Amino acid sequence: MEAESAFQSYLGGALDTFGIEADETERAVMTGVWAIYEPGMTRLRDADLDGIEHEMNADLSKPPAR
Amino acid sequence: MSALDLPLREQAAQIAAGDIDPGELLDSCLARIEERNPDLNAVVATFPEESRRMLEQAPAGPLRGVPVVIKDEWALPWRAETVGAASVPGVKLEPGESGPYRALRDAGAVIAGVANMHELGSGSTGNASVYGAAHNPWDLERCPGGSSSGPAAAVAGGIVAGAVGADGLGSIRYPAAYCGLTGLKPTFGRSAMEGHHIANTETIVSGPLCRDAADCRLLASALFGEDLAAAEASGLRIGVIRDPFWSDTAPGVREACETALESLRAEVDGEVIEVELPDLDLVLPASVLIAQAEEAAHLTPKNLNALSPELTVINRGVLKLRALLPGSLTARGYRVRAKARQDLAELFDGIDLLAWPTVPAVAPPLTEPVIELPSGVESADAGNARQGVIANLTGVPGVSVPVGLDGGMPAALQLLATWGADALLLDAAEALERATDREFVELRPAAIA
Repeated sequence: MEAESAFQSYLGGALDTFGIEADETERAVMTGVWAIYEPGMTRLRDADLDGIEHEMNADLSKPPAR
Repeated sequence: MSALDLPLREQAAQIAAGDIDPGELLDSCLARIEERNPDLNAVVATFPEESRRMLEQAPAGPLRGVPVVIKDEWALPWRAETVGAASVPGVKLEPGESGPYRALRDAGAVIAGVANMHELGSGSTGNASVYGAAHNPWDLERCPGGSSSGPAAAVAGGIVAGAVGADGLGSIRYPAAYCGLTGLKPTFGRSAMEGHHIANTETIVSGPLCRDAADCRLLASALFGEDLAAAEASGLRIGVIRDPFWSDTAPGVREACETALESLRAEVDGEVIEVELPDLDLVLPASVLIAQAEEAAHLTPKNLNALSPELTVINRGVLKLRALLPGSLTARGYRVRAKARQDLAELFDGIDLLAWPTVPAVAPPLTEPVIELPSGVESADAGNARQGVIANLTGVPGVSVPVGLDGGMPAALQLLATWGADALLLDAAEALERATDREFVELRPAAIA
């Protein structure tokens, strides 16, 4: 039997915490999708974004104010 | 040749001149749906009485009497959208006058049917829908692209000459590429969006899928409510970001796009400039998180625990996963967006267009939507999203233009421009068509040629 991954541990606890039901197949999908997401999410988590100002009242139809 | 096979603009012109009877054109469109839809599954609803009523009441607009289809993402007065799904969690969808419906009606167009889409708009392949997958007219066993799968299959399959889709993370450009069409993702906010079930969206736009750029210009003008005037593209500075957009692309697609790029450069007497955009590897996760957050308010335990069993297990799992993603990551996604918009604005100070393959590989099989790239085998969704989402994250317009075949399936070049330069994109697309003697916009799938 394979050891539970960190995500699977998180998943079980998070689903219980938020009262979301998921069957085995759905959990397998969530685990598989997270495996695709994880590298990008990790890069985003670890990226140095200090000094980047939030764009207030962003108007996506126009270029940003400069 | 049936009048139905004429370009959208030619149908409109001949109706206006009295050379085509729009009633007969609508009848032939409905007959063609009967004939071809069993193979394509592009159209999920028809309503001949409502279509004929639209025709009877059609104003003398630029599309008067021309039949089109509209993606199942928009409400009509007589039919609620279903977003390709058995239900949308926490959202009650009702009939009504959506923005694209009004735009089409006011232009005189006739909605002949509602087009299929990838379930909940959540995929780039179109291989999942409560109505069953739409099929690619170039190869019925392959993906038509998504999420605007039905609009693309309907136009490429010769059912209509124009269709309205929606593009939230590339959903017009991918199916246009897979099906050999021209598809425009407008600048955010320019095209009609009223009544969309995600009212707070900052990523989704409506837009046209047609056989060529001139038809896209006509249909986009209706959706914009303003004329997108044509101009001669000249002296364009075309920016190229090689890695990963070109380097990690199937060789046949890359070759077709390289040839097209050089043809475009020569046609407009322009130049190709190698450029870079920092932090590109953060664009995809930021885009996914922001797009997901737009519809996350409905992802309550109550709604998630009552998901329809008719939803695919993929979407049931993805929806539940979305509810668990940390908000801190989404907040960081907004910082990435701010930076990407600044970086892109600076880049467009020195260039007019960005160009790279719309999708990194041609349409994969419906049953196994994976693609083989130099970096390895990966899901078509992941590869496609990498190429497409920056336009949605930042708001700039993009167009996908057919530029060749790879293994008998369409390959496409994507062009991006600065905010509001939608007309320039279509000018460039038309220049590319001229440069290639319209070879690739005139290609038709063997099954319908």
